Amino acid sequence: MLKKLLKYEWKDTCRLLLPINAAIIVLTVLGCAMLSTSIFDSEASLFFAIPLLLLYVLSIVAFSSVTIIYIYVRFYKNLYTAEGYLMHTLPVTPMQLFHSKLIVGFSWFCLNSLLSTLSFMALGFAAGFHLEAANINYDAFNMNFNPFVSFADIFGYPLPIFLLWTLALLVLSAFSSILMGYVSILLGQQMERNKLAASIAIYFGIYMVIQIISSVAMMVPEIITLANTTEEEFTTNFLSETFRVAFPVVNLIYLVLSVAFYMICRALANRRPNLD
Amino acid sequence: MTLLECKNLTKTYGKHTALSDISFQIDGGHIIGLLGPNGSGKTTLIKLINGLLSPTSGTVYVKEEPIGPASKNIVSYLPDHTYLNKNTRVQDIIGFFADFYEDFDSLRAYDMMAKLQINPLQKLKTLSKGTQEKVQLILVMSRHASLYILDEPLAGVDPAARDYILETILSNYDENASILISTHLISDIENILDEVIFLKDGTLHTHALVDELREQGHKSVDTIFREVFKC
Repeated sequence: MLKKLLKYEWKDTCRLLLPINAAIIVLTVLGCAMLSTSIFDSEASLFFAIPLLLLYVLSIVAFSSVTIIYIYVRFYKNLYTAEGYLMHTLPVTPMQLFHSKLIVGFSWFCLNSLLSTLSFMALGFAAGFHLEAANINYDAFNMNFNPFVSFADIFGYPLPIFLLWTLALLVLSAFSSILMGYVSILLGQQMERNKLAASIAIYFGIYMVIQIISSVAMMVPEIITLANTTEEEFTTNFLSETFRVAFPVVNLIYLVLSVAFYMICRALANRRPNLD
Repeated sequence: MTLLECKNLTKTYGKHTALSDISFQIDGGHIIGLLGPNGSGKTTLIKLINGLLSPTSGTVYVKEEPIGPASKNIVSYLPDHTYLNKNTRVQDIIGFFADFYEDFDSLRAYDMMAKLQINPLQKLKTLSKGTQEKVQLILVMSRHASLYILDEPLAGVDPAARDYILETILSNYDENASILISTHLISDIENILDEVIFLKDGTLHTHALVDELREQGHKSVDTIFREVFKC
């Protein structure tokens, strides 16, 4: 039955999320095509280059926001409004219903994050190749460097390890983000009235608590590092030290959150609903 | 074997008691009218039987099984409002039902749609509210279920549509199956009922065979209902 639920979940979510992700690809191809021409080479071109760049960044952020909001709305609407009368009377277990939403929502969010990251990288590389091909000399490109050694100096990890940490961050943040929304909706459903308003309030409450905990968790190792190094060393290694601390700490936070949210979701989703 | 058994069902919302200590049994092969005025707890009881509400106390068993995938596999439920995604085509909804319910008869569904001249390629939102309700009824009655639970199928429709609905219900259920039908339009369905359950202020007022009830009072069920629930 889970396979059937997944089939219909994919089919229904494709209607909106497929065009959104296709739009990211189209935007990236257009951006790369524009960057590989010489239209941005002159200083005068900054006049329209900056608004175009802003528009691109805003579009990517908007696509990501729409994706996550749609995943939350879909979970709420399909299970806890009129459509829930059909879904909760299907001969399936509550966990099959929950997992079908989680797997599909997580996949779409990962795809969206991956495409957004690749889009930024593609545009960065396109700009770099064009600058090199056009022999435009910038200080950064005059360095005769080994990319792997330099990368580790700047970002605290060799490139392959850095990419692995980034991938782990992408997966864990996607998983915990989806589950945070689901937890909020499921907790809101435990209220007797104003369930949607309660869900939204719970979501922002959890978000604020996580932000405070993350900030503290990030600051403590930074302060310890600062106390054990000279000011000059700290300034020179600031970026690499930040990444060295941030990746394990943030990944650990997301991992703990994912496990905690999943356990709460399991307990709540297994309860019988109270549909209005 | 008892088809449906409700044991000491109670549902409260804060201080308000919607249902209080309801117990009854239903056997196969009967048409049961769940009757009561607005707010008497009919829909709450139906939602509890279908697992859409969690009871404050008490239990529901369908063929001796608690509410779960096994019970949902043999209960066909029509809610009192439209509940299908209106952006979906009729044929896709038929496909959905056929995928999930082993007892769903697609041919019967298409046949009934054709009789009503409903184009399966049409999206639900392009159909009138009355036609959408008929589509829902067709889907529910196209199952070979053991228990059909119909919540207010006659509410808000014209007399001609009522006739169609009743005819659809009567001509599409198996002899061994039972139908629990909630309504306050008693005169329309009195002749097809075998049993009635009267709910009054969330409590079970009467559960009796229609013939016995008529013989005892020498009155129609409609008249008895009006007397019991006189304002």
